[in-house]
Amino acid sequence: MKRYILKRLLYSLLTLWLTSMLIFAIARILPGDPVQGVVMASHMGAVDNNVIEGIRAQFGLNQPLTVQYLIWVKNFISGDWGVSIASGEKVFDMFMKRLPITFELFVCSVLWSMLIGFPCGIISAVKHGDFIDRLLSAGAVLGLSLPVFWEGIILIYLFSVMLHILPPSGFVPFSDSIKGNLLSIAMPTFIMGTQGAGLIARYVRSSLLEVLGQDFIRTAYAKGYSEIEVLLRHALKPALLPVATVAGLTWGYVTAGSFIVEYMFAIPGLGRMGVNAIFSNDFPVIQATLIIVAINILAVNLLVDLQYGYLDPRIRVQS
Amino acid sequence: MNKQKNVMGMIKRMSLILGCLLFCFGSLVYKVSSASGAPAAKQDYMEWGDKYCTDKPVRGGYFRIASPYYIGAMNPNHFPVMDWVTMSYMYEKLIVLDGNYKPTIPWLAESWEYINETTVIMKLRKNVLFHDGSPFNAKSLKYQMEWILDDENAAWTKSWLEPLKEVELVDEYSVKWHFKRPWGAFLGTMASVPGFMISAQALEKDAAQKKSERITHELIPLRRKARAEKDNDKVEQLQKKITNLEEQLKKFQALAQNAKPLDTNPIGTGPYMLEAASTDNYITLKRNPDWWFGKSIGKPEMPYFEGIKVAVIPDPSVRLANLKAGELDSIVLNPVQYRQVKDDASLSVVTFPVNFLVYNIFNHAKGPCADIKVRMAISHAIDREALVMGTQQGLGRVASCMYPDDHWAHNPNLKPVEYNPELSKKLLAEAGYSNGLTLKGFTVNTPEAQAFAKAQMAMLEKVGITWKPTFLSITGMIEPFKKLDFDLFCSMYPWIQEPDQIATLLYDPKSPFNNGRSNNSKAIELIKTGRETTKEDDRRKVYLELEKTLADHFEDVWLFWPTAVLASSKKVKGFNLEMYKNLGESYSFSHPLWFADGRP
Repeated sequence: MKRYILKRLLYSLLTLWLTSMLIFAIARILPGDPVQGVVMASHMGAVDNNVIEGIRAQFGLNQPLTVQYLIWVKNFISGDWGVSIASGEKVFDMFMKRLPITFELFVCSVLWSMLIGFPCGIISAVKHGDFIDRLLSAGAVLGLSLPVFWEGIILIYLFSVMLHILPPSGFVPFSDSIKGNLLSIAMPTFIMGTQGAGLIARYVRSSLLEVLGQDFIRTAYAKGYSEIEVLLRHALKPALLPVATVAGLTWGYVTAGSFIVEYMFAIPGLGRMGVNAIFSNDFPVIQATLIIVAINILAVNLLVDLQYGYLDPRIRVQS
Repeated sequence: MNKQKNVMGMIKRMSLILGCLLFCFGSLVYKVSSASGAPAAKQDYMEWGDKYCTDKPVRGGYFRIASPYYIGAMNPNHFPVMDWVTMSYMYEKLIVLDGNYKPTIPWLAESWEYINETTVIMKLRKNVLFHDGSPFNAKSLKYQMEWILDDENAAWTKSWLEPLKEVELVDEYSVKWHFKRPWGAFLGTMASVPGFMISAQALEKDAAQKKSERITHELIPLRRKARAEKDNDKVEQLQKKITNLEEQLKKFQALAQNAKPLDTNPIGTGPYMLEAASTDNYITLKRNPDWWFGKSIGKPEMPYFEGIKVAVIPDPSVRLANLKAGELDSIVLNPVQYRQVKDDASLSVVTFPVNFLVYNIFNHAKGPCADIKVRMAISHAIDREALVMGTQQGLGRVASCMYPDDHWAHNPNLKPVEYNPELSKKLLAEAGYSNGLTLKGFTVNTPEAQAFAKAQMAMLEKVGITWKPTFLSITGMIEPFKKLDFDLFCSMYPWIQEPDQIATLLYDPKSPFNNGRSNNSKAIELIKTGRETTKEDDRRKVYLELEKTLADHFEDVWLFWPTAVLASSKKVKGFNLEMYKNLGESYSFSHPLWFADGRP
């Protein structure tokens, strides 16, 4: 198992290294002089060559590209993520301010997608071929395919404009008001979680159907177990193994969804920060956002892989 | 630096477009009749009685509005300012504009007089305090102008003050402005961004902080050089320089003690001051209890709101949903949303012309558009009325040149270019493009700009011109502008006030915003004359001639002047549309709004 963990960890680090080089290269390919960016961001005005040289030296921009890359990695690890060209704020501070907001949205959305996705998938598989199966399957496909933007507009008009139950946009911090916070994240969470829920429901259904058709399930029935007992004691555990991978994918969906949902619902999170940065070519922020997204996805995939190894003895043996 | 200026200009322009309603909530005072210098004796005092509003003003409540962007830098001379509406609640100008965009209304400046063509004496209003408690006076004005002119402070407004030679202190509340040459655009400039008054105390601390940062940066390579240098004489020289810089650094650090950067801590004289700000989320302003204007007219309860909350909501349909859900009190709508609200009984919806221009820029320096026949063909191929109907729900006025039809500098004799596809085809053939013409181009990637571009693509296609613009971010446009890698570019110019500003920015070859590299010698001469002419009647004649010259040369394709749509909750009181249309920002700066129920 140790070897398996080490191997996964190495793969993740290798992927992160390659991704970071790609992100670094993209940022350097983008048109525009980063020093000009810093000068603009800090409104330092007409500066002479000494100042420009100082800034270049500070950011290591007078060094060869490989050295620049290493400096960037070193600065990134030490929390110096540069300065936003658009706002003049330190990128790390911007990130830290927005992280709790996006994290809350992420966690709630993933929980929501699991809360809906798992029961729907199980019911759908158990009631295979029935009307309820068709209804839930159609719901899962709908959840997967509805454009986030359209879904958002419809929900806002329904719950905010017509029913006046939820605020149409904005974010209330948990520390300001618990109720306000929960109301403000209700719609974004629902939308971000719906896609994941559809995905999970479909995977659980197909995986469970496959397991339910296997010999050991027939044997369990022959032993006289009830349908619930067979499902809970014999079918669910093996059926949920591939679903662990899907949970990782859901995290990816939520990450992608956060860019649109945060923008739409005017939530000042990391997704919106990324969208604004892309619109304004704010490359220090783009760089940081991309690397964080990459770390986020890689970390979740690593956890899924490790969990997979723990749950499935075959993986441990193979590794 | 050019690239920086270009970015600044583009962002400034686009942010102004989206900011739009600076004029809608604010104030005026006295109206004088001459833009050329001395205010007239008769002061057209504003109407406060039933003719203005039958409801009586009530104090209280937070006015909730929305902006697509977070405000950005909160020093108006710094870049980027993304929300001028909010800015105008915190800062006030020396002079404000009347209903014809003339800088005739004394605001923080009480009066002025041209002594001769290069000297103006200006008296300032007394008893005006900045939000930090420091007084507004001649010294603070002089300091601000010098601060803008100092390259080190990176004020994008610096070029607007180029003709300024010196601000001389006469007494505590009077200054004498000295110009390098006659400066007709002076009053208009003081009625625009450089005229927003900022606390000198805050500016000084801010400048000291910036200087400390610069010296810190400068010291890094010097110390490195000194360490690496082996020649003792050179080391000594470097060490001397380092010691000198370190002394300066100490001085500036002492000055900057407890300084808060102005970009995040605005200090003006306006009716509201900063209460809280959360980047990309909201900005909250609180009532300035010391606001001079209300007191000066015997209405100390002004401004009426306890505060203003500006929510940042990027999506227009979500902004509208917030208004309908009662979460906002007032918003500026996209014209395409007009139909959704015009019959809504819970809202007051008004439309009024705005001083913006939607237009296409030609590349005059290279490519087919350098030929006037091609420019004429393109201009005749565009059905401007259809464009206004299709993209603006009919809300907009077809443009005949750059100055809006209600602007004092507009030439009323000019007619919009006729839509004539047959003539367009003929002109194309004469220019040697009988088999069709393909144009390169781009436009900014906002939905509005894309709609303008797509509608024009179809119109141009009808006469055999293929124009497939790419949609770029504002910063993404820098390179193609620099390399002149376009033939036709669709753009918008907001806030046309002082006629010299737009004329110089777009048609002076030295301007970093002359992206089409227009180089019309007669227009250049007229722009210079207009800038240096101080008599209003003479200036007007120059600008009428300038518009005619530009129109005769088909210098650009002027499409339309937009109309703004403002939707507010019925609880919002105090907005008189007719007065606003007649008096412009002079009305809005002097007539703050209130809630009917004085909501707490």
